[in-house]
Amino acid sequence: MRILLAEDEEQLARVLKMAMEQNNYQVDAVDNGQKAVELSQKNAYDVIILDIMMPVKNGIEALKEIRARGDRTYVMMLTAMAEEDDRVNGLDSGADDYLTKPFSLKELLARLRSLERRATQYNGDDLKFADLHLDSNEQVLESDNSISLSREETRMLEYFILNAGKELTAEDLLNHVWNASDEEADTEEVWINIAYLRQKLQSIQSDVKILGEKGGPYILKG
Amino acid sequence: MSIYGPYEETLNEILLDVEDRIKQLNRRELDKHQPKLYEHLIGRVKTPSSMEEKCQRKNYPLTTESALRRCRDAVGIRIVCNFISDIDRCLDVLRNAEWCSVVKEKDYITKSKPNGYRSYHLILDVVENYRDIGGNNPGHFFVEIQLRTIAMDSWASLEHEIKYKHHVKNPERIGRELKRCADQLASCDIQMETIRQLIRED
Repeated sequence: MRILLAEDEEQLARVLKMAMEQNNYQVDAVDNGQKAVELSQKNAYDVIILDIMMPVKNGIEALKEIRARGDRTYVMMLTAMAEEDDRVNGLDSGADDYLTKPFSLKELLARLRSLERRATQYNGDDLKFADLHLDSNEQVLESDNSISLSREETRMLEYFILNAGKELTAEDLLNHVWNASDEEADTEEVWINIAYLRQKLQSIQSDVKILGEKGGPYILKG
Repeated sequence: MSIYGPYEETLNEILLDVEDRIKQLNRRELDKHQPKLYEHLIGRVKTPSSMEEKCQRKNYPLTTESALRRCRDAVGIRIVCNFISDIDRCLDVLRNAEWCSVVKEKDYITKSKPNGYRSYHLILDVVENYRDIGGNNPGHFFVEIQLRTIAMDSWASLEHEIKYKHHVKNPERIGRELKRCADQLASCDIQMETIRQLIRED
């Protein structure tokens, strides 16, 4: 992972950079918010770590500018223990996580590892269930035969497989498959996609079934 | 004389007759106010030279018997349908037609070929008022029927084009892309079929 670190305390910045580099992360360190804004515009980062109290431009201002540009990079804020407002402000301004100073190096590294897991192992992984093989990256479903899936069908089947045997309401599916910003999505669309998936399961000769009537709840059975 | 011996003209007649019979089956559906069975159909008698080539490839002797009896696709008709369920309707009426019997079925739709090819193949035994190679009149003639959707047909055209192009750069990649394309077209066929069903349920 490539990390941008913005921290004005020279000693702390040096220790953090060295520790992260020893863990095979590629780290660029800067000492104020303005430089963080500029560098994040130039390079592609996986994580940006922003201290709040910094000269020229503080961490919150830098964060707001970065987000205003449409940058969705994972951002972690470094805040002082006492400043609850900073933490709330940071998260509300678009930060994904924070660490309160003084923090342990071990904890920072553990959080980076957790983030990496989320990004690589839990996402777009191949899923197997009964006679099915779902390749989320390629959006292909295989059994006896293979067929392509749409983005919605892929996410819905993923959610079904990860919760196989559990009753899922149409609302559950709607919330987990469609983005909250998608205002056209409704439970009717959930139903249409269930119909697509059922036909596709049949077309590849799978024994897996999605049970349930229009309106839900639905349940995946192997 | 060609590998078809004295039967070459007969094969052309058989092709026209069977095409007419399939068109008639379609008219019967329309008369019952059902949607048309298929979008279009095309037929051909395999050229004598490609039949000879096929016999050689299969290690059959180059005889009229090989061309008409061991190979069963001298006469071939492709029925191209709009929707997957139309293929099932075609299968139904062909299995029940009194002028032929189905002697073999191969379903490459539910079990596509590894390269992505999808189609439903039938061999029909057709009884017609012509003398066959066994000396019977009316005689028995084999006709191969291929049933597929428009999407499957377009895919097969593309695959055919690539197969006969001699210098394809990076054939593995093109093969993977073709397979992916086949899976996407199958997805569209199913989507159209599902939408059609949802409309009918309303």
